[in-house]
Amino acid sequence: MWKVIGGFVGGIVLTGVVGWLMMPSMMFTERESPFDMEETVARIQQNVQETGNGWELSGLRNPARAIQRDGGNVLPVMMVEACSTKYSKPILNDDSVRFLSILMPCKITVYKKNNGKVYIGTMNAGLMGKMFGPLVGEVMGEVAKDQVNFVKFDPSKPAPKMIEGVPGGDGKGGAAGGGRGC
Amino acid sequence: MLNCRTLSSLMLAFGATLAVTAAWATSPPASQAPAAKPAEEAKRSTSTADHSKFKELQRSFTSGPEVTRACLTCHTEAAKQVHRTKHWTWEFLNPESGQRLGKKNIINNFCTAIPSNYAFCTACHVGYGWKDQNFDFKSQANVDCLVCHDTTDKYRKLPGWAGHPPYRDTEFPPHSGKIVKAVDLKTIAQNVGKTSRETCGSCHFYGGGGDGVKHGDMDSSLANPGKYLDVHMSPETHNFTCGTCHVTSSHDVPGSRYTPTAVTRAVPMRGKESDANPATCEACHTDRPHSLKGAEVKEHAAKLDDHTVKLACQTCHIPQFARGHVPTKLLWDWSTAGKLDKDGKPFVVLGSNKRPLYDSKKGDARYDTHVIPEYIWFNGMVNYTLRGEKLDPDKVVKINSFEGSPTDGKSKIWPVKVFHGKQPYDKQSLSLLIPHTFGTDEYAFWKHFDWPKALEAGMKAVDENFSGEYGFVATEMTWPITHMVAPKDDALRCTQCHSKFGRLQAVQGIYMPGRDGNRVLSFLGGWAALLALIGVLVHGALRIWSNRKGG
Repeated sequence: MWKVIGGFVGGIVLTGVVGWLMMPSMMFTERESPFDMEETVARIQQNVQETGNGWELSGLRNPARAIQRDGGNVLPVMMVEACSTKYSKPILNDDSVRFLSILMPCKITVYKKNNGKVYIGTMNAGLMGKMFGPLVGEVMGEVAKDQVNFVKFDPSKPAPKMIEGVPGGDGKGGAAGGGRGC
Repeated sequence: MLNCRTLSSLMLAFGATLAVTAAWATSPPASQAPAAKPAEEAKRSTSTADHSKFKELQRSFTSGPEVTRACLTCHTEAAKQVHRTKHWTWEFLNPESGQRLGKKNIINNFCTAIPSNYAFCTACHVGYGWKDQNFDFKSQANVDCLVCHDTTDKYRKLPGWAGHPPYRDTEFPPHSGKIVKAVDLKTIAQNVGKTSRETCGSCHFYGGGGDGVKHGDMDSSLANPGKYLDVHMSPETHNFTCGTCHVTSSHDVPGSRYTPTAVTRAVPMRGKESDANPATCEACHTDRPHSLKGAEVKEHAAKLDDHTVKLACQTCHIPQFARGHVPTKLLWDWSTAGKLDKDGKPFVVLGSNKRPLYDSKKGDARYDTHVIPEYIWFNGMVNYTLRGEKLDPDKVVKINSFEGSPTDGKSKIWPVKVFHGKQPYDKQSLSLLIPHTFGTDEYAFWKHFDWPKALEAGMKAVDENFSGEYGFVATEMTWPITHMVAPKDDALRCTQCHSKFGRLQAVQGIYMPGRDGNRVLSFLGGWAALLALIGVLVHGALRIWSNRKGG
């Protein structure tokens, strides 16, 4: 009997440990970009605008600029912010999950590492949504599908211009404000 | 660490070229334009002369040489001094290798070479009128005083004008609709002063055909840099000008990219005759800089000081170059130049960073900011592949080779920018070719996009034959990184090198803890340590057990 209980508890603990260790890689993804910083950002912005479903750019943040203003250096980081009222409205309409507005707008981060390569970081919206009930799970599932398109690149297309003046951020760091879409 | 003399000379020499190119190719964005000098700064001037009160300068001037003649009435020896510098001769004889270098002689993998393109390139020469091989290098009036001593930020030399500024309002670039105002020589002459980041930068920031193109650690962002970008030059900190390090005497600016100081053997001392380079880090910071007063953890500081034996200061303190948001050019592929649009016109394709990905005049390009340097052993010796030297078209031709090794006792690990190119060579003589790019004549590549004609004219300008058969060979050119020194808090951390895939991954010849290791030895060592620990624990436990039993 004790063996069964011990095995059961051990299994739970093991699962918990494995889950704990895997959580970061499940919740967030990182992939290398074939383009430089600006082109990666510009192509993501273009994809957001072409995805439909109400998606609009709501900001471009550059936290590295804020650090530079304080006299320091970090490698480039830029965050493309996008939002769709089609997806934000149902969540913002429900008091029980309104706190999830903290996840808005949807962010995709582009950054350079010390190996000189550029990476794209995204949140696993689908998996995260499942943690908050059927409504959020369904909405975030749709967001996750669109998110896949945001980072799908067609190298045969010419490099678009990076859009720096989108509402919600001046591309120069830390800007807040009423972005479009959300 | 960078040799001041080398750097200064280089800067001046390249400066002219750069300024021309910059003016022509890339006007600095308004946000990067040098800031106007504050009134307080002008009041603090330490000059004992107000040039506006000099009678010689209280008249109108119609040309640069006229201004120079006026300058020389007081500064009688200045032009002769300039004549002896690389900024004037664009020539340098490397005493160690015997190679005759300088812009006049080398072929690089940017704009390639000045012969046949003089009027364009010499916009960055400290002189007036170098439009062909017949330029009078002995003329004192041909020395351009204003390009280095202007304090108004209004003096500008245009590519194609053989070093002259515009004396009348001029549409530039031609057919662009943009008007460059004529320079006011009288006002500029009455306001001359010391050199500044702006005057040196008017050429050196723009080398290779545009802002930040060539060097990577020098671009227009250094005209008014934030502390993050250059801890010495920032007005927020020490506000160094170029001349603060490149301490100049008799117009001879120390510092050169032809013979850089890789390892500082001596530093200049006030009152002592010395040919030591004043533009090295050690000239101010010594070779044990970390354990100077103020170091919080002495052991740590001493360990950092130990690194200075093998590491150039720049290796840790310039973690990336092109940090000022001006992209630097990393690739120039001449082999694709010459494509025309459906109307038969040249075109430019801009990338997302607003720099050309393709230009009919120049071919494919790649630019980037915040570039991680490559790291090499370097002992200060640079060898060039010169005109006429045989090359192997199946291999990458090194336009310049930086010598050095971990065992020669003269080398340190340096950060460098490696610039990749593809440029024309003669398939029969197997040597690099000079293209004639600039001009309105029938041979100019930028006018007619005809490689054979352009190459024939380019080689004719140096009295050498072109077989008529040409190809494009991959080339590399290396540039030491020495500007854009970051604040000390942003220096590389230990683990950025002492790790398997760290910055110095490719540097051979030294054992680096954290990077190097033998798997078998590490395995055995790990087990030995584990067994020793088990032994200690068992031994201790037995001691306790036997003690209790005995008690």
